[in-house]
Amino acid sequence: MDFELNEEQQAVLEAIDRLLSQHAGPARAIELNRQGHYDDALQRALDDAGFSTIATDLTTERGPAWLEAALAVEAIARAGGVVASAAQMLVAPALGEQPVAGPIALCTADNLAHPVPLRFGAHANTLLVLGAGEVHIVGLAAADLEPVRSSFGYPMGRLTDARRIADLRTVGERLGPEAAQAMTNWWRLALAVEAVGTMDAALQHTVAYLKQRRQFGRTIGSFQAIQHRLSLCAIQVEASRWLAREAAYHGAQAEAVAVAAAFALHAADQIFTETHQMSGAIGFTCEFDLHVWSMRLLALRQELQGVGGARRALVEARWGVNA
Amino acid sequence: MEFDWSPDDTQHRREIREFLRQELPDNWEEISQHGPGGDSQAAFSRTFCGRMAAKGWLTQHWPSAYGGRDCQPWRHSIVGEEMWAVGEPRGSQYMNVNWIGPAIMRYGSEAQKQLHLPRISAGQVLWCQGFSEPEAGSDLAALRTRAEKIDDHFVINGSKIWTSYCNHADYIFLLVRTDSHSSRQRGISVLLVPMDTPGIEVHEIPSVVGERYFHEVFFTDVTVPTSVLLGEEHNGWEVVNHALQFERIGAARYARAAVTLDKLAEVAAERGLLRDPIVVDRLGEARALCEAARVLVYKVIDIRAKDRPPTADTQLARVLSTTCDNAIGRLALDIYGPDSLEYASFADNNFRLAMTAGVAVGATEVQLNLIASRFLDLPKD
Repeated sequence: MDFELNEEQQAVLEAIDRLLSQHAGPARAIELNRQGHYDDALQRALDDAGFSTIATDLTTERGPAWLEAALAVEAIARAGGVVASAAQMLVAPALGEQPVAGPIALCTADNLAHPVPLRFGAHANTLLVLGAGEVHIVGLAAADLEPVRSSFGYPMGRLTDARRIADLRTVGERLGPEAAQAMTNWWRLALAVEAVGTMDAALQHTVAYLKQRRQFGRTIGSFQAIQHRLSLCAIQVEASRWLAREAAYHGAQAEAVAVAAAFALHAADQIFTETHQMSGAIGFTCEFDLHVWSMRLLALRQELQGVGGARRALVEARWGVNA
Repeated sequence: MEFDWSPDDTQHRREIREFLRQELPDNWEEISQHGPGGDSQAAFSRTFCGRMAAKGWLTQHWPSAYGGRDCQPWRHSIVGEEMWAVGEPRGSQYMNVNWIGPAIMRYGSEAQKQLHLPRISAGQVLWCQGFSEPEAGSDLAALRTRAEKIDDHFVINGSKIWTSYCNHADYIFLLVRTDSHSSRQRGISVLLVPMDTPGIEVHEIPSVVGERYFHEVFFTDVTVPTSVLLGEEHNGWEVVNHALQFERIGAARYARAAVTLDKLAEVAAERGLLRDPIVVDRLGEARALCEAARVLVYKVIDIRAKDRPPTADTQLARVLSTTCDNAIGRLALDIYGPDSLEYASFADNNFRLAMTAGVAVGATEVQLNLIASRFLDLPKD
C-alpha cells in the first residue's frame, strides 16, 4: 500500500499537467462549448505525446498502466478538456488489442432504440455500443450524427438514423460477453474518474472564490455554516478520488468500480448543488468558470443508469443477487 | 501509488482469522452484546489479550525495545479490522495498544515505561480515558478538574463524565488543570492514575446506548505522587493531541459495519426485501460508504507508516467512518423491522454501538472545523 505517486506516476502527471496548461483550461472549454466544437488541437497534443494510448504503451510490472491512465483522465477532467479521453484511454483499450479510431462515443443498445444526446456524439468517428453480452464497434460517418444543443458542458450529438446504426452492427465488429463485461466495468470506472477530476476543480474553484468574496464585512468562507458544508464536500471528493484510483489500479473489477461509481456519482450531485448555492448568482453566469465543471457532473450521472445503476451493480457483485 | 497487500500481510490476516475462529467461544455473541465496555467482554478481554500477547500479536507494531516486533502500522491495522469485524474481543484494550502505550513511550519517564508498557503488551491491564467534563465536552480545553501540586504529590479534585470502561479499568489516562492561573490549552497536564486510589468514585450514567456504557468519575482529594505525571507539567495538551490524532481512527468501525452489512444483505434476501428497489439502493449506498471510509482510513495509515506528521486526512476519515457507521446502524433497524425493537437483538446491538460515533472522540462538528482550517485553509476572520 502506498498512497503517494511513484517517480513514473509523478512524471506522467507533471507531463500531462504541462500539456493541459498549454492546451486546455476553463476559458478554452467555454469558447469551444459556445461553438459546440470538439478540441481537436488538444486531442492531437494528447495523441502526439502518447497519452491516448498510455494504458497499453506504458506497461508496468503488473501489466497495462491502468492507474496511470486514470490519473491522466482525472487531470484532463480537472482541466475541463473538451475531448473524449475517458472512452479513448480507459474503455477502448480494455476491449482488446486493436486500436479504435477516436473520438469515441459510448452508448447502450437501448440508446439505439431511443436515440438520446450522447457525449461527443456529434464528433465521434467510432461508436461503442454495449448490448446484453456483446459489444459492437461501429465506424461512423458525419451524416450519422447531428449536434444537439445542451447546457451540460460537453458537445453532444444524436444518431440521425439509429436504425441504420443498429443494422450496421450486423456488419461491424462484434465482441462477446467478456468484452461486454469489460466495457461495463471500464465505462463505470471512467465515469467515476471523470467525476473526481470534475468535482475537484468545481470545489477548488468555489473554495478559492469564497476565500476572497466578502459579505457582511467578512469573507464568506469564514462563516462556519459555509465551512462545514465545504468540509463535507471535501470528504466526498477525497473518498471518490481514492476509491476510483484503487479500482483503476486493480484493473476495474466489477465490485470495486460499482463502489467507485456509486460513491462518486452520488457525490457529484452534492458538489453540484453546494458549489452553485455557495457561489451565488455569479455562479450561473458564463463569465464565471464554475459551470464548466458543475454542469458536466450532472451529465455524467445520466450514463449507465447513474447512481442507481451503480448501486444495483454493486449489490449484484457483492452479494450475488439479481437486483 | 499502489494498493496491494504484501503476501506477508495477507498471510497474517488469515492467521488472525483462524486465531479468532479458535478463540471466540460459541456464546461470543452473548458475551459481546453490550460492546467493549460490557462486564462480560471486559472480563473476556483479559484472557483473550493474554493469548494474543503470547502469540506476539497484541503490540506487534510497537518497537522491539518495548515488547513489540517493529511491524508496520499496516500490520496492526489488519489486526484492528479483524478484531472490530467480530465485535472487538480485545475490549477496551484496543486503546492501550493503539495510543495509550505509544503516548507513554513518547512522553513517559523510564520508570513509567517500566511500570506500564510490559503490562499493556502482556494484555494484563485495562485503561480508561478521563477527558470530558460536565462543562468541557467538545470544548475539551475548558476542563476544570484540578491537580494541585503539594510537595511531591498532586491532589486531584473534580469530575469526569461520559467515561467508558472505567468500571473495570486499572488506570485512568487523566487530563487535569495543573496551573489554575492559565486558561484553555495552557496549564493542562496528563496524569496516569491508578483507579483504586482512595477518593475516586465511579457512578454509572444510565443511557439508551447500553448497560455500563457511560460513567461519571468523581475525584475528591485524590492524592498521587508526582511521578504519575506524563510528560512535562502543563504540557498535557500536546500529549493528548498527539495521542488523539490516531485514536480518531483507532477503532476500525468500517470493518464492523461491513460485516454487519453482509448480514443485512443476507437477511434482506431471506425476507424477500430485495424486490424492493429502495432496499437494494440503500444496500448499495451503504456498501459504498463502508469502502469510502476504509480507503480514507488507509490513507491515514499510509501517512503514519511513513512516520509523517498527522494531517487533516484523519478528520476526513473520522467523519466518513461516523457517517458509515450511522447509515448501517439505521439500515439494520429498517431491514429487521419490528424485530429490531427488542433489546440486544442483532439490529439493536449494532444500532446502539453506532449511535455514539458522531459524538465520541471529538464531535463531528469539531472535525469539520479542523477540515475547514487545515485541509481547505479557510479563513477564521
